[in-house]
Amino acid sequence: MYSGIHISQTDERPMYLQIMEQIRQRIAAGDWAAGKELPSIRALAAGLSVSVITVKRAYLDLESEGVIVTRHGKGSFVAEVNGLAGELQEAKLDEHLEAAAVIARGLGLTDEELAARLRRAARDLEKKK
Amino acid sequence: MNPLTRKLIERELHMHRWMIGASILAGLAGLAFVARGGSINFNVGFLIWLTTIVAFGVVVAMFGIASERKERVMNWVLSLPVAHGDYVRIKVVALLLCFCVVWITLSAAAIGLILAQPGLPDGLLPFAVLLCVFMLGNYSFVVCSALHVHSEGPMTIVIVVHNIAITLFMFAVAAIGDISSHMQGPVAVWNPAFWTVLVVELAVFLLLFTLPFFVAARRRDFI
Amino acid sequence: MSTFNPIEFRGVRKAFRFFTLDDLSLDLEPGQIMGFVGPNGAGKSTTIRLALGLLTPDAGEVRLFGHRMPEAQAVAKRDIGYVSDEMRLFQNATVGWHLRFVASIYPGWDEDYARTLLKRFNLRTEQTVKGLSSGEQMKAVLLLALARRPKLLVLDEPTANFDPVARHEVLGEFTDVLRDESRSILFSSHNTVDVERISDRIAFIDRGRLIDSRDKEDFLERWRRIELQVPAGATLPEIPHVVGRESDGQFATLTINQFTKDTLARLGGAVRRVHRMSLEEIFVANVMHHRETRSS
Repeated sequence: MYSGIHISQTDERPMYLQIMEQIRQRIAAGDWAAGKELPSIRALAAGLSVSVITVKRAYLDLESEGVIVTRHGKGSFVAEVNGLAGELQEAKLDEHLEAAAVIARGLGLTDEELAARLRRAARDLEKKK
Repeated sequence: MNPLTRKLIERELHMHRWMIGASILAGLAGLAFVARGGSINFNVGFLIWLTTIVAFGVVVAMFGIASERKERVMNWVLSLPVAHGDYVRIKVVALLLCFCVVWITLSAAAIGLILAQPGLPDGLLPFAVLLCVFMLGNYSFVVCSALHVHSEGPMTIVIVVHNIAITLFMFAVAAIGDISSHMQGPVAVWNPAFWTVLVVELAVFLLLFTLPFFVAARRRDFI
Repeated sequence: MSTFNPIEFRGVRKAFRFFTLDDLSLDLEPGQIMGFVGPNGAGKSTTIRLALGLLTPDAGEVRLFGHRMPEAQAVAKRDIGYVSDEMRLFQNATVGWHLRFVASIYPGWDEDYARTLLKRFNLRTEQTVKGLSSGEQMKAVLLLALARRPKLLVLDEPTANFDPVARHEVLGEFTDVLRDESRSILFSSHNTVDVERISDRIAFIDRGRLIDSRDKEDFLERWRRIELQVPAGATLPEIPHVVGRESDGQFATLTINQFTKDTLARLGGAVRRVHRMSLEEIFVANVMHHRETRSS
């Protein structure tokens, strides 16, 4: 079910983020359909040979993003309405941009300088991939 | 006796089975020489019989204890549900059993030979008994030492002492007039001198056999 | 019995001639893997031996599943699999003999799992232990510990002699143990990459003292290396939790052990890059920091 998920320890990104991203990919692609039950935290941890706490964190964060839903005692499931996930991500983006604006104000940057920095950051991200 | 204890004792016996078998055969071969009569055959055969028992004792004690410790097998055994004290006690009992298989067989055969063989005076019997019991005590000395001494130097000294002790013992007993004067006689003489030596031997054996139970088994640290 | 922690150390002290393990308090909770990391001579093996009842503490208490050690070690060890790189099997016996021996002692022995592991580890029952390589011998010891399905696995450098393939196999078996949330593992190793991967909780030990013990993700989130460039004449804003500072000219690298968003805000534009740290880097920085603070 998840043998394609691979955790790299040489990747800059922490393990829990890698797990989250690969689960989100499967959900977005439709491989993991809405309402599908996710493997239990322990089962996924054992399957990927990673610590339980890492998978736990990934599931918690995915839940706070609204990508998955955890029903106490029953397990975790792919969220029914995935538009919700997008909305939560957008809220997160706004939060980060606001924080950046605050710092920029503190440094005395103009809006154009801030925008330029944002474009450079996005370009650097592309280069890293 | 709990199953693990029994298994560990069985394992010890099983592991030394070839040595046990070979020693019994060698000792009996020595007695076969003696049985042929004549003083050269007696000396040769007696030497073979004696050396077999003494050497077996040392080898079994060393294999059973010192090399297990050195090769870290002890560490694995202690990962099983057995306490350090248990391990010591089981070792003492198991190694004594191994020795007894050889010792009882060869002692009984020797005594039987003295009784059956007309060329061997029955007067030898008390000396033979004292010698056999001495070897039991001597073996306990090596086992007891191996359990308390952890370095090779002192252990080598123990082994040398153990090997020489037999000769020293025979000289000492020969010096006791009340025993040596009857050795060549046709009748076994069980006099007070004999009993005294026997009691001392048994006391020493008991002391050495039980010492590990009170000392080595009670050690707080096993490294 | 199920309410007791698999391992509990309370104020344990053990003194040797040149080394003292002091005031050690440690808990391993059920369903957890704890990684135990420390330099050579720090006291890792001593701690593990105290846990198994092979050493008696001078002060304090050691309990395994509530059993007081070393007094109750024989009982406690019924539920434990202990593997160390300092142990070997009976050299003249076969792998099969050991399997039968251990199977007869442990009621929880899983024969099917033992057979699976034999195949996976590429061992055969007819092989004499003497003829196995040191890595294979270690695998055999691990097999004997794993197949009894213990409630607690205590591992002291279990992968010391392993090639990468063997390590990968064995690590998989360890994480598999935790499918059952009532089972736990204490895993002491120099291999910080493996420890980082599979541990839920990590304890650092140095020179006889426990210097840090927290959830792995906590460690990974709190520690950062921050590269800065501070133009000549300007001073760096003071920020808390700096445990290491290296600089030449305008450029500096700070090691932080309690990183928050606030940290970046305070440092502002001086920040060139923020690096997460691997467990190995955290471990070295942590040890250095503690040694400095101890000597001052």
